[in-house]
Amino acid sequence: MISRRHLLAGATALGGASLLPSIAHAKGSVAAAIYPGTWEEAFRAIVAPALKKKDSVDLELQPLFAVDQVAKAKAARGAPPFDAFVLDPGPRITAIQDGLFDKIDVKKIPNASKLPAGLVDEWGIGVNAQVVGIAYNPKKVPAPKGWKDLFSDPWVSRLGITGFQTTFGTVSLIEIAKVFGGSETNVEPALAELKKVLPKIAAVGQPAAMPGLFQQGQCDVIYTNTQTVATLKGRGVDIEFVKPETGAITFLTTLHIAKGAAEVENAYKYLDLVAGKEVQEALTKPPYNFIPVNKDVPVPSYLPMKSLDEMSTYVRHDWAKINPLRAGWIEKFNKEMAK
Amino acid sequence: MQNTLTSKAARALDVEDLSVRYGTSTAVDGVTLAIEPGEVVALLGPSGCGKTTLLRVIAGFVRQAAGRVRVDGSVIDHLPSNQRNIGIVFQNYALFPHMTVAENVAYGLRARGNRGPEVQARVSRFLDTVQLGAFHQRLPRQLSGGQQQRVALARALAIEPSILLLDEPFAALDRNLRLDMQIEIKRLQRTLGLTTILVTHDQDEAMSVADRIAVMNKGKVEQFDTPVAIYDRPQTLFVNGFIGTTNLMNGKISSLRNGTATVALDAGASLDLPAPDGVGLGAPVLMSVRPEQLALSAAPGPDTWKIEPGLALPIGAQLVHEARTVDGTFLKIIEPRRTFMTGAPRAYCTLAADARPTLFPRPT
Amino acid sequence: MSLERATGVARPPRALKLAEWQLALPLALAFASIFLAPLLMLVGVSFFNDDKISQPGFGQWAKFLGDPFNYKVIADTMLLGLKTVCATIVIGYPLALIYLDASPRLQKVLTFIIVMPLLLSVVVRTFAWIVVLGREGVVNTLLLQLGIISEPLRLLQTELGLVISLTQIEMPLMLLPLISVMSRLDPNLRDASSALGASRWRTLFTVIVPLSMPGLVAGCLLVFASSTTAFISQTVIGGVRLIYLPLLIWQQSLVVFNWPFAAVVSLTLLVSVLTVVSALSYIGRRSGGYVHG
Repeated sequence: MISRRHLLAGATALGGASLLPSIAHAKGSVAAAIYPGTWEEAFRAIVAPALKKKDSVDLELQPLFAVDQVAKAKAARGAPPFDAFVLDPGPRITAIQDGLFDKIDVKKIPNASKLPAGLVDEWGIGVNAQVVGIAYNPKKVPAPKGWKDLFSDPWVSRLGITGFQTTFGTVSLIEIAKVFGGSETNVEPALAELKKVLPKIAAVGQPAAMPGLFQQGQCDVIYTNTQTVATLKGRGVDIEFVKPETGAITFLTTLHIAKGAAEVENAYKYLDLVAGKEVQEALTKPPYNFIPVNKDVPVPSYLPMKSLDEMSTYVRHDWAKINPLRAGWIEKFNKEMAK
Repeated sequence: MQNTLTSKAARALDVEDLSVRYGTSTAVDGVTLAIEPGEVVALLGPSGCGKTTLLRVIAGFVRQAAGRVRVDGSVIDHLPSNQRNIGIVFQNYALFPHMTVAENVAYGLRARGNRGPEVQARVSRFLDTVQLGAFHQRLPRQLSGGQQQRVALARALAIEPSILLLDEPFAALDRNLRLDMQIEIKRLQRTLGLTTILVTHDQDEAMSVADRIAVMNKGKVEQFDTPVAIYDRPQTLFVNGFIGTTNLMNGKISSLRNGTATVALDAGASLDLPAPDGVGLGAPVLMSVRPEQLALSAAPGPDTWKIEPGLALPIGAQLVHEARTVDGTFLKIIEPRRTFMTGAPRAYCTLAADARPTLFPRPT
Repeated sequence: MSLERATGVARPPRALKLAEWQLALPLALAFASIFLAPLLMLVGVSFFNDDKISQPGFGQWAKFLGDPFNYKVIADTMLLGLKTVCATIVIGYPLALIYLDASPRLQKVLTFIIVMPLLLSVVVRTFAWIVVLGREGVVNTLLLQLGIISEPLRLLQTELGLVISLTQIEMPLMLLPLISVMSRLDPNLRDASSALGASRWRTLFTVIVPLSMPGLVAGCLLVFASSTTAFISQTVIGGVRLIYLPLLIWQQSLVVFNWPFAAVVSLTLLVSVLTVVSALSYIGRRSGGYVHG
């Protein structure tokens, strides 16, 4: 007898996921999920032609946010709509716990040897690092030294914040909490401090809206990653990145092979190519401004570090601990910040 | 009863040299009409002749480019339509579909600030006048066309207007109802002594209801006169052709003396007729003669012309003959139907005893 | 009497009735599968206690309904819809009147202006409003330069700014039904009212407004349903301090993966919107039913 749960899951899959695979899996191809926006543009312009040229494999990109990838893969129940994931640490942990990945065979990824230690594990490879810190408008406010500065004038009245919905927002709020006596699992102090200055804060926004709000002068201090800073700078926006005195935050973006993937071999070729020197170097160039992970690629000058090894000193977080708490934090943030 | 409905003294309406232009086209072109108090005037003409535009200027919906409208001598051109106190019944009645019959009739009274039982009483009175007292709670869509028109009439009369305007009021009614309504409107108008202007394209309607008719064509009034005068003495070829049926025959003026012209018809006869203005000796003319003013004859004479008889159709008590003259003109001739016919073929046509044909200069 | 006759005529022969019923079957099935089935699934999912959808229960409903914060969110969402509806009426109704009086050529231009927002993606329209309402945006720059204000006004991330933008974004949904109903009104009605002595205002409120009710109600329904569910505009222009039900649904379904809770919030939104919409259309039927009679 079919359980209610199976029925629901099966029916959910009908909602869209199951319509895609038959189209996506043409011969000599690989379907990869990709973040919409800069990632999609960069992979279309650089990775797809490179994969076609090197391995004669067609790269079919499906623009999906991390959470959508996990949701679709979960709903598909073993017949994922794409062969490869691209994920941030939080959704990566969720996906591992839900058994959505195949373990990888490192031997099939020659370029893995060029990646710094810790970027390769049994579940996937890191292909991009994000460095998160404070960005400010040098024409409007002086450079803040660290997280604490954001809560006093002149910065606080120009501050734009986001909640726990994104990885960079979550880790920034954790670092703020730490400054005020909290920890990786206790963000209360951050919320308490935010509540005190809330009437002064310039913007509390949706993450996707933050670059636009900064560009329009709605706020002049935000927490964000180096990539956003470089992109805005490239558009002529007055913006500088500051490594907070307690340290910049870093986390990896990783590629994974989906359990039940239709084109496993091509997926390996895709992973290896993205980790390779040519693609990594091309991705560091404007307008994409990725942080490279391949040791053969020089670190761009605008980044706050001289070499990739320096990043090992940056702050990292344990998403296995964060994930279970995040729903509560989001709810708490809603209530504390609501007008 | 009679007293309560009779309004104050009827008003005179003067339209002076009125013109209306839409962009580059002229809809009404220098119209002047002096309408007597209590008179019913029909604006008659083909569609697009400017009659409805003239009505809308009087109501205040359209502004004229030139000229004046006076009521009892006072110019009303500066007044917006809601201050003119002119009642109007539209062709499609324009009843408010969301209001009951009583609310429709009360609308003008309420707009004037009247309230309470006085309004109720007046509404009942006017609904009784148009014999719709029992229908006061109905919505317009629950009434027949004739009933809707009576509501529209009661609504227009309830404000005790100085002038009543009727825009093609009978066009949407069937034939039998039309006659009833014509009689009813005439009766009400008499009772109330209301100066009334009626727009119509139907000459029978104009003839039966109006005291005087203004025949309009291309924005101008061609003739403004009593129905009988318009029928018997049309002053222009347009009026002649628009009113009734007529025969036109070509001819030339062969002699002129003491206001009498001798016309030599191309069909082959010479007739003495009253001379029209502005035609000289030898001028080409058209003779207009109504079918009932022609007669058939068996023998030739000085004032007969030869014809080739065609079909003869009995219509009611009359017989309509078709005939062709030697110059190729087709004529219609109407005679009273007789029970016996003379045996000899009647191959000649002549004027009937009391015939009053009209001469017009022939347009070149 | 006419009713009897009408029903007698309207009753078709039995065979014909069956055939008509069968013709509607594909549509009924399509509705059932793409509309009803997901809705029933949504209801089903909401009655699970855990985010793995394994333990049935009323836990999520209890959690949602037991938190007073959520009632405020529901009320704010409905109020946002009502404010937007009011603003679209106040601005849209005079616009519709202007449209009716305009020359045919001007009407074409106006139609284009009215429909244009529909041709732009909602994301583009929303971000354009950031440029207009921002601290250094068009409005603030203008007011500062004119010396009307000395400090930039806070327009973004306020309910006022959100209502302003939604008013523009949803305006076509108000204007299109309104204009289509109003342009079918007999123009003689206005003249008739005037000739009977009514002022322009009296004509407007006693004739034009009552007769345009069906269009007005249709516009209100569309604007209300659309503005209460306008997730992108709500979050991008309103920011996340203004919390409406769509934001909760997004967070629960796509950030924390608590689908049962997301289903509870979704159903709450559905029921709340349907309630207000039914009330609006009831009012509309009472005041405007005669037009369809």
